[in-house]
This record gives sequence, structure tokens and C-alpha cells, in this order.
Amino acid sequence: MANIVCAKVDKAYGAVNVIRDFNLEIADHEFVVFLGPSGCGKSTLLRMIAGLEDISGGEVSIAGRVVNDLEPRDRGVAMVFQNYALYPHMTIYDNIAFGLKRMKVDKAEIDSRIQAVAGTLGLEPYLSRKPTELSGGQQQRVAIARAMIKTPRVFLFDEPLSNLDAKLRNHMRVEIARLHQALKTTTVYVTHDQLEAMTLADRIVLMKGGAIEQVGTPAEIYERPRTLFVAGFIGTPNMNFVDVTAHADGENWRLDGDGVRFVVSRGRFDLTERQAVTLGVRPSALVAGGGVSDANRLAGVIDLVEFHGDDALVSFRVGGKEVSALVPAVMRPKAGTPVAFSAKEEALHLFDRASGMSLLRA
Amino acid sequence: MKTRNSLPAVFLAPPLAILAVLAFVPTAYAIYISFRNRELSRPDGSFVGLQNYLDLFSDRRFLNAVGVSLTWEVVTVTLTLVVAIGLGILLFEFASSRMRAVMTLLFLVPVILPRVSAAFVWKFAFHPLYGIVTYPYKAITGQPLDLLSSPATALMTVALVDVWQWGLFFAVIVLKLLETLPPQPFEAARLDHARSFEIYAYIAIPMLKAPLISLAFIKMIESLRAFDLIYVMTRGGPGIATETLDMYAFSQGFIESGRISYASSMAVLMMVATTVIFTVIWKRVKP
Repeated sequence: MANIVCAKVDKAYGAVNVIRDFNLEIADHEFVVFLGPSGCGKSTLLRMIAGLEDISGGEVSIAGRVVNDLEPRDRGVAMVFQNYALYPHMTIYDNIAFGLKRMKVDKAEIDSRIQAVAGTLGLEPYLSRKPTELSGGQQQRVAIARAMIKTPRVFLFDEPLSNLDAKLRNHMRVEIARLHQALKTTTVYVTHDQLEAMTLADRIVLMKGGAIEQVGTPAEIYERPRTLFVAGFIGTPNMNFVDVTAHADGENWRLDGDGVRFVVSRGRFDLTERQAVTLGVRPSALVAGGGVSDANRLAGVIDLVEFHGDDALVSFRVGGKEVSALVPAVMRPKAGTPVAFSAKEEALHLFDRASGMSLLRA
Repeated sequence: MKTRNSLPAVFLAPPLAILAVLAFVPTAYAIYISFRNRELSRPDGSFVGLQNYLDLFSDRRFLNAVGVSLTWEVVTVTLTLVVAIGLGILLFEFASSRMRAVMTLLFLVPVILPRVSAAFVWKFAFHPLYGIVTYPYKAITGQPLDLLSSPATALMTVALVDVWQWGLFFAVIVLKLLETLPPQPFEAARLDHARSFEIYAYIAIPMLKAPLISLAFIKMIESLRAFDLIYVMTRGGPGIATETLDMYAFSQGFIESGRISYASSMAVLMMVATTVIFTVIWKRVKP
């Protein structure tokens, strides 16, 4: 068990800096998820912690020890890869035992530990098979077993569920969550899937272009996105964005846009006169009908209705921008109907259009 | 539709017929002649049944040739694979991609050389008085070093040339094979407490088992055809120290006594033996 500290970590390939000044402390027992679009450097960072990539600058410490120059095997980490990375010519038993054999662990002990791990992950019937004779989910379970059996101080997962189909992915996600509950090993988990991040993480590290956009619990990130990028990345269906301009209006700010007018109180947001602002509101925060006044309303004619089961997503255009709202499926209107939705002030997010930073008062 | 089906046959038939004639007529004639006592110096000959074959087994020079041939096979195939895997791994582990390209080119040169040319080059290099390989020994000890004229070293020296030609070439193939392997199992092994040599011994080489077996077979077949190399470098000498089966058959048939029937019986026996041995080995290693 161990904490991980990344201090001023840089990664450069030649002249290209893929990770710049990355600082993060991961506490003991914590489950941290690196989330971001592909190419944001999250996997590179994980591989730097694992020792599979050189660290160009800064320091990575595991359990208080700087590991920059340590071999992967000496870092006390175990990793699960996206494509399982099993040894194809070995049986499942030998795959799981490989690390212990290299560590010169006693044969009888290897055997008892494998039986225990195989029991936990339901792999007993497959121990004498080859990896190719197993399904994707079973192979990934073998990879997890191979990582678990070394009782590492840190678990690293590199998009472990990306190669699985949707149903299996949900199942394995729950298994990984249970495993973490039982083992409490410090875990770093890389994914581009926000559902995995939201459900598994104690804290999410949301990355973009090699830098941290926001670090926080799933709730913090969902409820108080720090930047426009985070707001747009997190949440399904995506947040609606409308361009508006701020004007002082007594105790309030008036936000005028193309076909919309919002009024927000001065206490909640840091705005200046004539500031260009992007207003964000989640589809689930839009309520059909709405107040009597014209303010805080989004109205238009529905051009698409997507049925989701319990809910339906209705889309309409407001001043040239596509806006979606989530309504109960039983109440869904037909395409072509004029609709109006309103949002409470607490559900509104405002971002400076130039910097992309949230204008919410801390 | 009919013309489309028959067209390939029309084009294939002539070359296949020529190949069949070239392959089967000499084989059939060799089998036929091996049952007679034909000699090059006499126009006639009579049927002698299995006499030639029976004579072979009391011919000590033939038995020596069998031994030399087997030694040659084992030594050249083993050394070639050892050198190929060793150099391939070294290049894969330590060479930059630019360095690999340069080395690949250099390693391909020997095998492109016609074998007779390579044999002459090396024969001169091993020359006791003027050879560049033996020069340091001569300079230090003052004694000439004649590797090709000593029964103890002649076969190994010729084998060295064979390995120089094929080991380097196979090293390039091994390097390319290693490059095609997915990197993740290697990375997993690095995290699994495996040291570099263990990664190759337990992961890389076993993953390449099938292509390496194929390479071994190619080399086994290739080593059987080392006649030109041995002919140029030693002619089977000194004495009969490097006389392989094909060398002995050649000298029986054409150089020494013109006993063409006796030589043919040797050739037929070799053909049968290689067919049987290769089939058995092939069945054994292919699961």
C-alpha cells in the first residue's frame, strides 16, 4: 500500500512536450481515474508511473521513494493492459505464476496463491487453458489475476475494459470496484469513458493536451466543472451551450443572446459589463414549460426526438444553436411541436468565452 | 466460363511438363542405374540388383561420409540458429532504427554473394601464408596456421563460412520477426520481475517458435546442398575429413573411378533417408 506523488512531471518526445508540469498527489488506498480524450497524455502518464516510459522532467515517487530511475519490476506496481498482454504460449496458470516464478517464490506457495486468486476471480476451470481459448472478459480477468497475485503496492489499469463489449464492460467494472473495496490497493485507472470514471473513481483527474483541467470527486466535477472543456466532456447527454453577453441590471446580471435572455443574481457569478460568456445548462436540468417571464427560457420547434427508454432527448434550435432537453419518455412531444424549457439559476454554468474558465464564485 | 477455367492450365502445362521431365527423369534414371554396374569407362553394364547398396555398408569411406554429413548438418544448423538468434536479439535490444537499417544491409551482403565466390574469398582468407584471418597467428607465433589442411579443424572452418553466409542473413529475419511481436507482453514481463534475458528466453523466443522452426528446416535443407562450398574450399580433404555424402558420391562417380552406378546408389539412399528423416521431424515438431 502506498501513496503516489507526481511533482512537476514533464514528458517530451524530441521537441514535442506531451505532458507539462503535472502535479498530483494520490493518497494511500485511493482510486484515481485519469480521464480525457485520446491523445491527452493520460496513458503516457500511467506508463511513466509504471516505468515503461522515461520521465523527461520532474519526479515520481511511490511510497515516499523517488522511482524515476527504478526498473518497472522494482517499483512495486502491477499493470493491466487494454489488450490484456497475456503471454500467448503459456497456460493461464503459467501466465499468472510468471511474475512469482521470476521472484523465486516457493512452488507450493505459488500454487496456493494462484488457487486463492483464481477463486476470487472465478478462473479455476481455465487454469490449464491457453489465452486464445478464453473470451475477452476471461482474458482480462486473467490479466487482473496476474497483477493481483504479486500483491503490488499500486495497481495501474490502462483502459482495461475498452476491448470488451458493453455488457461485459459493465460487469467487469463492477468486479473491479468490488476488488478495490476488498483489497484497498492504491489504484490509478486510465480511461476515456466517463461512465467508468464517474462510477469507479474516488477522484477524477480530467486531462486535456497533457495538462490537468480539473481534479475532483466525480460529484465536484459534474456539479462544478472548472472549465468549458470539463463541462462539455462530462455528462451524457452533453451540456447545452449558448453564447450570451452580460449586462448589469440592478441586483442582477442580464445575459442576452440570440433569441434568449437569462437573468442571474450578482452574488453567484463574477461578471463584468459586456463580457462575452458561454452559458451552459445540462439537458436534464431543463424543465418543460417554465415561468411566465421570458427570462431563463429556451424555446424552439423540435426537430428530433431520441427515445432512451425512461427518458427521451428532444432537440431544437435556439438562435442557430442546437439545444437538447431530457423529458420523461411518456411525456415526449412529437417532432415539429413548439416547446419551451426553463432552467433554475442554480443549474446554470457560465464560462468566460475567451479563457473557458468558469465564472462561478468559489 | 470454360475458357476462363482452362486458360491457367494452358499456361501452366508447358513449364510444369519441363519441370517434371527435369525432376523425374534424372531421378528415375538414377534409381534404374543404381541397380546396375555401369561405369563411365565402359559402354555396357549389367543388372546387379541390390549389390551396390550392400557394398555401401561395408565401405568405410561411405560410413565416414555419413558421419561427416550428419556432423555438418548438426553443426551448421545449430550454429546458424544460435548466431541468428543472438545477433537478432542484440540488434533488437541495443541498435537504433538507423543502426538496424545499416546492419541489416551489411548482414545481407554475404548471402547475396554466390557461394562459390564466398568459398574462394574465404579460402584465400584462410590461406596459411597470405590469408588475413591466419595472419595474426603467424605474426605472433611465427608459425603458419593451416586450418583447412588439418583434419581437426577443416570441417569447422568450412562450417564457419556457411554460418557467416546464413547466420547473418537469418539474424536479419529474427530481427524482423522480433519487430513484428506485440510490445505489450514484453512490457507485462518487465513489470513481472523478468530481467532482459528472461524476457527473451521465456517470452520472445517461445512466441517465435513456429517461424524459428521453419527457419531451422530451411537451413537443414540448405545445409544439404553445401557441395559447392566444400568442393571449392577442401574438395573433401584433408584425406576424407570433410567428405560429405554428396562429395563422396561425386568423386566415386566422376573423379576417381567413374563408378556411376555406385554413386547413384548413394544418391538414391540419400534421397530416401532425407525424405524419411525430414518427414519424421516435421511431424514431430508441428503439433
